[in-house]
Amino acid sequence: MGKIHSKKLFVKALNKKFGKELDLSGKTTTYERKGPTQNARKVEFMEASKKLEGKRGISFYNPYVHAGGVPLGQRQLVPYKLSTTEYVVEGDDLHFVNNPAMQQMWDDIRRTIVVGLDMTHEVLEKRLGKEVTPETINNYLEILNHAMPGAAVVQEHMVETHPGLVDDCNVRIFTGDDDLADEIDDQYVIDINALFPADQAEEIKAAMGKTTWQAIHIPTIVSRTCDGGTTSRWSAMQLSMTFIDAYNMCAGEAAVADLAFAAKHAAVIQMADMLPARRARGPNEPGGVSFGFLSDMVQTSRTKPDDPPQVSLNVVAAGTMLYDQIWLGSYMSGGVGFTQYATAAYTNDILDDYSYYGCDYAIDKYGDWCSAPVDLETAKDIATETTLYGIEQYEAFPTVLEDHFGGSQRASVLAAASGISSACATGNSQIGLAGWYCSMLVHKEAWGRLGFFGYDLQDQCGPTNVFSYQGDEGSPVELRGPNYPNYAMNVGHQGEYAGISCAAHAARKDAYTLNPLIKVTFANPALIFDFADVRKEFGKGGAREFRAAGERSLVMPAV
Amino acid sequence: MAYKPQFYPGTTSVGVNRRKHMSGDLEKLRDISDADVVTIMGHRAPGADYPSTHPPLAEMGEPDCPIRQLVEPTPGAAAGDRIRYSQFADSMYNAPAIPYWRSYWGAINCRGADPGTLSGRQIIEARERDIEQYTKVQMDSEMTDVALCSMRGCTVHGHSLRLQEDGMMFDMLARTEMGADGNVYYVKDQVGIPLDRKVNVGKGMSEAEVAKRTTIFRHDNIPFGGAQGARKFDEGLIALHHMWERRSKWGYRPE
Repeated sequence: MGKIHSKKLFVKALNKKFGKELDLSGKTTTYERKGPTQNARKVEFMEASKKLEGKRGISFYNPYVHAGGVPLGQRQLVPYKLSTTEYVVEGDDLHFVNNPAMQQMWDDIRRTIVVGLDMTHEVLEKRLGKEVTPETINNYLEILNHAMPGAAVVQEHMVETHPGLVDDCNVRIFTGDDDLADEIDDQYVIDINALFPADQAEEIKAAMGKTTWQAIHIPTIVSRTCDGGTTSRWSAMQLSMTFIDAYNMCAGEAAVADLAFAAKHAAVIQMADMLPARRARGPNEPGGVSFGFLSDMVQTSRTKPDDPPQVSLNVVAAGTMLYDQIWLGSYMSGGVGFTQYATAAYTNDILDDYSYYGCDYAIDKYGDWCSAPVDLETAKDIATETTLYGIEQYEAFPTVLEDHFGGSQRASVLAAASGISSACATGNSQIGLAGWYCSMLVHKEAWGRLGFFGYDLQDQCGPTNVFSYQGDEGSPVELRGPNYPNYAMNVGHQGEYAGISCAAHAARKDAYTLNPLIKVTFANPALIFDFADVRKEFGKGGAREFRAAGERSLVMPAV
Repeated sequence: MAYKPQFYPGTTSVGVNRRKHMSGDLEKLRDISDADVVTIMGHRAPGADYPSTHPPLAEMGEPDCPIRQLVEPTPGAAAGDRIRYSQFADSMYNAPAIPYWRSYWGAINCRGADPGTLSGRQIIEARERDIEQYTKVQMDSEMTDVALCSMRGCTVHGHSLRLQEDGMMFDMLARTEMGADGNVYYVKDQVGIPLDRKVNVGKGMSEAEVAKRTTIFRHDNIPFGGAQGARKFDEGLIALHHMWERRSKWGYRPE
């Protein structure tokens, strides 16, 4: 493995944003103060608002009431290039309300549940004396893919859901037992051997042993109408009914309770932990998705295993969108500002440039991925160099500074690049975290400014919780999540931490970060959102090329 | 020997300037009238009485309290003034002040002040007559270049943006403008309400002057870490590394 950096990755994006003729190093410009009409999307919004105002009977969107009558657009309104892709979209297109791909990414997580099959098979065999064979499993899976979307089994005269509304729902199984996988109908299997590089497949199967699991994705429309806590309940009901049907059980016998208990509790892996009352969310809601789990949901590790920074940066993109835009930006707060924080981490190839620079520096100095000493000296060296480099780019290219016009954006990007580089250099996520905090302090001291208050709160005391493993002091970063006490309310951090937790494992060429079952579940090709190319999917959503699930137009009058 | 605070390490002009801001040993460059400062702040009309939130402390019959005996109230607290603010945005293109150093100046040198630090703005809150005094010190002194620093209560966007062609920091609300005479004028107060009259705050500094007076490290002026490929860390960075390492090692091991 060697370094893969190409210098100044952000120049192309800047040319697209500001125009090719612009001197990117110029420190002055003419502010033409053109207002909102300079931007196609704002014009579209104004036209839509005008049309709808009569129907609504109340005033609506009007950027001319912005800032006491000084309309938005006094500064040039520039578009955003999704990093490493050719997609260039307006900033508005990256608000999750306007971006169906972003919504679907979260929908695909929230509607997913992983349920073990071995426990139920044991109940069927040992308690009820039923025979479980590949044929009975195939039969069960056929019935289950009828029932899980919301169709009836066992009972007569039941209401059902329209297949056209729930066609995104599916259940596939995966197993570490190649012999069993061979016996199952291909349509029902997530084929680990086909989807993962050979070494990763072997690692995953070794971790799983001969266990068998169901990757269940309930209909998007169900989880959008209800909540994440619904997923295990919806799934458990349909699983229990399907077992009754497939194995000719008595509908009321006590053994059914065992199957339901397995499906709801004993053999279940939620995508997210339940949150305490003060955050008031059930399981499978974003505040409980650990950084390690999010890292495993993103699939770039299997499609681009030789490019650890790229793997990490896709996790950062997924994390900033989910944690900053949806979780903190909507569940926990509200409004539009959070999108601006998040986009800095996945647009215009700036974080990419800084991360590759840091990794190149490390490889030049220490030899290869994961070959640097695992100690504070390494974190200090790499994080300081990466941060100083990033600061210098902001200074040398004033349009980069203007693009990341908020200190919080710059702080997150510089620290993420430092953390990713330190983690990749050592293969240790705690060193990555140490690099993050070193970067924050270097940045603050150099410029005398950092981010909003949260950066004071969290980043200046943050070094104290690195390398702390006891539950009340810290945790491995892979096990931390958005509800980790010191992280719980700070935008601009959580997605990056997920990226850092991923970086160590990506550089080590690990098949997964925290849980192989999550990694395989999100390899399911039938998911609507492609978790292997997060930023491209966001671009598609922004360019209005992404078709999401869970739509209701089938059962509504045409617009 | 009496203790003499050192405030900040380093021999560069940035290190020296940071020490000056923290110590309060500032050079006065201009004299903006009290009325003009009050006008730009926008909390009360110049000459108007100070609104109060409680009677003067002397009339309140305060309890017998050793802390009250130790701490002399500021003039604003003694009078019962309400708490108001002034907030500054400072350009990253070598503005003399930077947010943390405005805060350090406030915390070290201003009694009864509550500084708040963000990336694009820095606020100090205090009793009204106290904050007026603190604001005047900032505006009159070398902490301020009138083209690269401005008082902005809201819509502060500008610190990181390219400068206008006339050398001024961008302001969406256009609170300040460059006059034909080369002086900078406030035409709106700090929250963007138009003023009845323009307030002349004088001429901006030259590029060479701001480069000399600034407290920000920049690679094109005074670098913090030397040059790429030939790093040479400023004393401030070496001290910072020391603190980061200690925080990391002893965060939960206070021995």
